[in-house]
Amino acid sequence: MAGVKPAFKRAYHHNQIQTLDIVLLVILTFFAIAIILPFINVAAISFSTQQEYLKKTVLLIPTEITFENFKALFEDGRIWVGYRTTLLLLVLGLPLNMFLTTSMAYGLSRPDFPFKRFFVYFVVVTLLFHGGIVPMYLLMKQLKLINTIWSVVLAYGVNSFYLIIMMNYFMSLPISLMESAKLDGASEWRILFNIILPLSMPIIATILLFYAVDRWNEWFNAMIFIRKGNLVVLQLALRSIVIDSQISQQMNISNVQTDVKFSEGMKMAAVIVTMIPIMCVFPFLQKHFVKGMLVGAIKA
Amino acid sequence: MENIVAEKKKASLDTNRSSLMSRVWKSREVYLLLLPGVIWYIVFAYIPMYGLTLAFKTYKANLGIFGSPWIGLDNYTYVFRDPAFIESIWKTLWINAGRILFQFPIPIILALMLNEVRVNRYKKAIQTVYTFPHFLSWIIVASIMINTLNTQGMVNGIIKMLGGDAVNFLGSTEIFNSLLYLTENWKSAGWVMIIYLAAISGIDTEQYESAQLDGSSRLQTMWYITLPGIQNTIVVMLILSVGNLMNAGFDQIFNISNAATAKAGEILDMYIYRITFQSAADFSFSSAVSLFRSVINFALLLFADRVCKWLGAEGLFPSRKKTVRG
Repeated sequence: MAGVKPAFKRAYHHNQIQTLDIVLLVILTFFAIAIILPFINVAAISFSTQQEYLKKTVLLIPTEITFENFKALFEDGRIWVGYRTTLLLLVLGLPLNMFLTTSMAYGLSRPDFPFKRFFVYFVVVTLLFHGGIVPMYLLMKQLKLINTIWSVVLAYGVNSFYLIIMMNYFMSLPISLMESAKLDGASEWRILFNIILPLSMPIIATILLFYAVDRWNEWFNAMIFIRKGNLVVLQLALRSIVIDSQISQQMNISNVQTDVKFSEGMKMAAVIVTMIPIMCVFPFLQKHFVKGMLVGAIKA
Repeated sequence: MENIVAEKKKASLDTNRSSLMSRVWKSREVYLLLLPGVIWYIVFAYIPMYGLTLAFKTYKANLGIFGSPWIGLDNYTYVFRDPAFIESIWKTLWINAGRILFQFPIPIILALMLNEVRVNRYKKAIQTVYTFPHFLSWIIVASIMINTLNTQGMVNGIIKMLGGDAVNFLGSTEIFNSLLYLTENWKSAGWVMIIYLAAISGIDTEQYESAQLDGSSRLQTMWYITLPGIQNTIVVMLILSVGNLMNAGFDQIFNISNAATAKAGEILDMYIYRITFQSAADFSFSSAVSLFRSVINFALLLFADRVCKWLGAEGLFPSRKKTVRG
């Protein structure tokens, strides 16, 4: 069977370029360019001067590269506050996410224990129903967590999709491993730490990356629960730099040109700075997400 | 021999003879593993769910959710008398109808096309490009879109270069819906495409083989084999989007709309957000709206699932056992 497939493929795709191939190439490449161009444009603006921005209709490669926009951005300070808060969120939030998810996923993956179905449904129900923002806000208020980083850290503890993905991975591991460890007298926690986790590094890494990206992109809970200027998360800092200033700027365009600083450049520098970490982890994410997505989609 | 089997059974399972309590005691370590997660779920998922009872109460800050007095359906009589609420529902449904029309097919088409590409390196590169924007927050995407589509932006630059007039993409209520479909496709069509590609890779190659022998063209195999092969996945995705009919994408609209387009983007979520956090907050009132939305969504999900089964497709909840264990 294994030998048939490649041979068949070769016969089927008999290396002949058809019109269909050219049409596909054009359409797919066009869509790809439509995705890439805005990024290049953003990057180009962040490295160029205001004169050049006003002169060129479509700015893709700046002729004289300047770092003034980034300087202006960091002098503005909002992005620093954002970075600090979001890094704090990652440091506090990721271990919590991983601890809760891993221990619960492993517990649920155990083959037979009383009330197993109940616990699985306990998780699945939360995929379909949630209280929404008002009860959450009141809960945080009750717990006196409003205006602290803990409200955002705790509000996102377990992602049920990731939990199910991880659980499925654990269930795919050979059960004899755990049984024999049990016979040797190892406790469940010991089995998890010494046997399962070393075997599960791919899934642990994947889920960790997913959580990291989610944390990096967090803003809604932060916007609702934290109203303190020095605890603004990165995404909201970006929002205040780019989106909130959009309206005031449209109203008096003359103001923009007399401005000493090139505000468009500074805004795009903020986009770049917010995006860079995602760009760095994306290659690692990409390695795994197809599998994770597949499991998640089937389970959903 | 019999002895060994019996012993093994006793050692590893010990379920048949022992009572429930002793089985629970035997599994105490498993429960200990579950405990942290369960506590989190109770506090941050189930207590807020209980908090939805506010929909039938009048919220008194000093009494909390538990202590606030019940008022029955009074909140709902107010809700249904609010014209802004009714309008937000229509807007939500209208936007979502457009999403199913202009957003839902795009990833399927992309997957079908990419599946026909024979150069693997190109295929991989394309996938990478398409999936990247999905991992950016809507704030980043909105920032990029504001830059690209504003009156001095790149797209208008190209339009002007070709001799056209600049279009106010961001500030016009008429093209607001198109803007939503366009940006959503830009952000995540490629990501959803991955699901369909995965489904395509699960189709039996023998089918292609026999089609090839029968002399069917590539377009024909695409239409008669690949598309039916991913039918179930398409149906599941459709059910999910029908089940989301009352959510029209808060993140996207909150960040992409502005003062000029606020009216066009007044979906149910925005309405809830506004009555909760911007004007004089009425928590019971907005809980009532939230609950209404969840119930409608859930009912639609079940309804769509039934329709699919009735039509002979597998649907979302295949069988009880499968959903649980997989």
